[in-house]
Amino acid sequence: MTKKIILLSMAASVSLFAQSELEEVKALLAQQIKTTQALQKRLEVLEKKQTKQAKIAKRQARTIRETKKQIAVAKTQQEEIPTVQTTKTFDQKSFLPDIALILDGSAVGRNVDNSTYETYYMPGFSTYDPSAEAEIPFNKNRGFNFNYAELALHSTVGPYFDADAIFHLHPDEFEIEEAYITSRTLPYGLRAKAGKFRSEFGRINSIHQHAWKFTSQPLAFEALLGTEGINDAGVQLQWVLPTDTYLMAGFEAMQGNNDVSFGDTEENNLYIGYLKSSFDLTDTTTLLAGTSIAHGKNEDGHNTDLYGADLTIKTALDSYSSLLWQSELLYRDKTTDSGSEKQAGYYTQLVYQYDQNWAAGIRYDDLFKNISDQPDDLDRYTAMLEYKPFEFTKFRLQYTYDRSKAFGTDDQRKNISEILLGFTIEAGAHGAHAF
Amino acid sequence: MKKTTLLLSLLSTVVFAQFNVVASYPYLGRIVKAVGGDNVKVKVLASPRFDPHFVIPKPSLIPAIARADMLVANGAGLEIGWLPPLLKSANNPKVRISSTGFVDASHAIRLIDKPKAVSRAYGDVHPEGNPHFNSDPHNIIPIAKYVTKKLSQLDISHAQEYHHNLTQFATKWKRFLKTFDAQMKTCKSKKVVQYHELYNYLLKRYGIRSTATIEPLPGIAPSSKHTIALIQKMKKENIKMILQDPYHEKKTAHFIAAKTGAKVTVIPHDVGAVSGTDTLKTFYETIATRLCH
Repeated sequence: MTKKIILLSMAASVSLFAQSELEEVKALLAQQIKTTQALQKRLEVLEKKQTKQAKIAKRQARTIRETKKQIAVAKTQQEEIPTVQTTKTFDQKSFLPDIALILDGSAVGRNVDNSTYETYYMPGFSTYDPSAEAEIPFNKNRGFNFNYAELALHSTVGPYFDADAIFHLHPDEFEIEEAYITSRTLPYGLRAKAGKFRSEFGRINSIHQHAWKFTSQPLAFEALLGTEGINDAGVQLQWVLPTDTYLMAGFEAMQGNNDVSFGDTEENNLYIGYLKSSFDLTDTTTLLAGTSIAHGKNEDGHNTDLYGADLTIKTALDSYSSLLWQSELLYRDKTTDSGSEKQAGYYTQLVYQYDQNWAAGIRYDDLFKNISDQPDDLDRYTAMLEYKPFEFTKFRLQYTYDRSKAFGTDDQRKNISEILLGFTIEAGAHGAHAF
Repeated sequence: MKKTTLLLSLLSTVVFAQFNVVASYPYLGRIVKAVGGDNVKVKVLASPRFDPHFVIPKPSLIPAIARADMLVANGAGLEIGWLPPLLKSANNPKVRISSTGFVDASHAIRLIDKPKAVSRAYGDVHPEGNPHFNSDPHNIIPIAKYVTKKLSQLDISHAQEYHHNLTQFATKWKRFLKTFDAQMKTCKSKKVVQYHELYNYLLKRYGIRSTATIEPLPGIAPSSKHTIALIQKMKKENIKMILQDPYHEKKTAHFIAAKTGAKVTVIPHDVGAVSGTDTLKTFYETIATRLCH
């Protein structure tokens, strides 16, 4: 503004002096204005060009960076893809079942030689058959015994079933001890099982030998059900009642292959039912009680009824010390071609777990009811001392005084004194034992 | 009239129908109760008096599991010796391992002491890492958050309340942690010996050095050879404190103490393990007082 005024005033003053010069100056001024305008235009164009180029440069830098990255990725990919297959594309190792190996062996001292011992029977309950091979599964020999290597597999099959298999490998025999499937998702507290399995009749029948507190089977079970107990093909349904106190009802239908009490092979013949309950007597004392019944047909085609009652009381003295009292009673009513046979027996045992390593126990077995003309004073005393240097390693010293056996064909009753030192180990993925 | 009372009683059961939660250990029960409030009914399985590894799988515990809508376990293998048979017998698909109702608290924690090699030759090792993370009170909020998440998922109608409870609990707990941290700072770089590696999470956080254990290997009872070596080590390194849990035998610890002049301090391993520790707060206060008095 001031510039213009000065210019105008200058122009005015000049006009006062020379009219002709004024014309010249006017033309010059106009020319100068034109050139400035032209220069301004060029400047603007140049500026525009510059910003455009800067943008282009930025874009190019970005694309360069991106391509560099792509090249790097491509390079590593090229390095990571070998031409030789080294990955485990279809590896199934994570689906492998839990595998446990259980070994059991013993050294035995006995006042009866081996050939005589093989002929033993319990008068009134079993007989000696010279033509049959003796069925003594554990600790048969005076001297050393390797009883079994047990292979236990457990796996979840899918959302709906678990599978278990327990193989008993004896020195000259392969046996499927158990193999069954168990339901996982049944509602209302129900669980179903199918396959070959140990019945949950009573208390000890479903427990494997390696988890027993004494190395030998209770007399009542051996006398009334044989060395295998009730271990059969069939189905099982268990129901945990929706009560505050533990109440479990179970039903099993089985083939009835056990020929000591059942064994009618014409069709499936064995039906088992049981009711179990447990509650705490004090903060540290728990009681578990059960009643069981098994109804089936025996080899003569007649009925056999087997009744069981069991009671377990366990008191925890501290984390590693406890007192366990367990008893079981069996009563059998077996109808044969020669009439009705009523027999019964029981065992009662007390086990004191001193600490994590040491335990001791005593057991009394009695077959107190026998058929007529047969002895009813068949009983047995057992005492044991157990040492576990580690949770899964067990050594047991057991003394047995057995007054229930007779030998051979001449009805010779003889008391057995036996001392046994055994070991049992559980290696691998072995699930925890129940109560 | 009858109909209305019937309806009313039905309604009341609906109103008061609680969400059943089973917790394996007492401290987990306290966390669930803090978050769940009146909407959940909590049953704790293990007694704080006993070794958490060796709980007796009493069948009398089965009914609670059978009716549970959710089960909160410590995890990292701590319950492996007793919970699986109970879960199996309870026939409750809702809280089976791998179902949504089974809550493994160890998932909320970054586990330490993960063994590089797993073999039973090293004793009762936990392949996933040290499961005794409840010794560090800083692990309570992560577990509470995880429990809240699970509770809200399974009991959607009360989700808001659970989140509200969590916020309140977390605020209170953070305040408590401040005083706890201050108290624990006073015994930084102290050197201690433990019976079992039960307090590693706590010791690690507060810079207390655990130099050895009384048991030669996890789960293996003390041997005279190991004890003698330990006494020598403690004398040499001037270690004056033995951390003893309440459930193991204390004879060995007292023997070592007599030989070395160290002090045996019983540190609770769970809520209610020693008297005066019935709440989460008093449990940790007792730990701090006994460790850094």
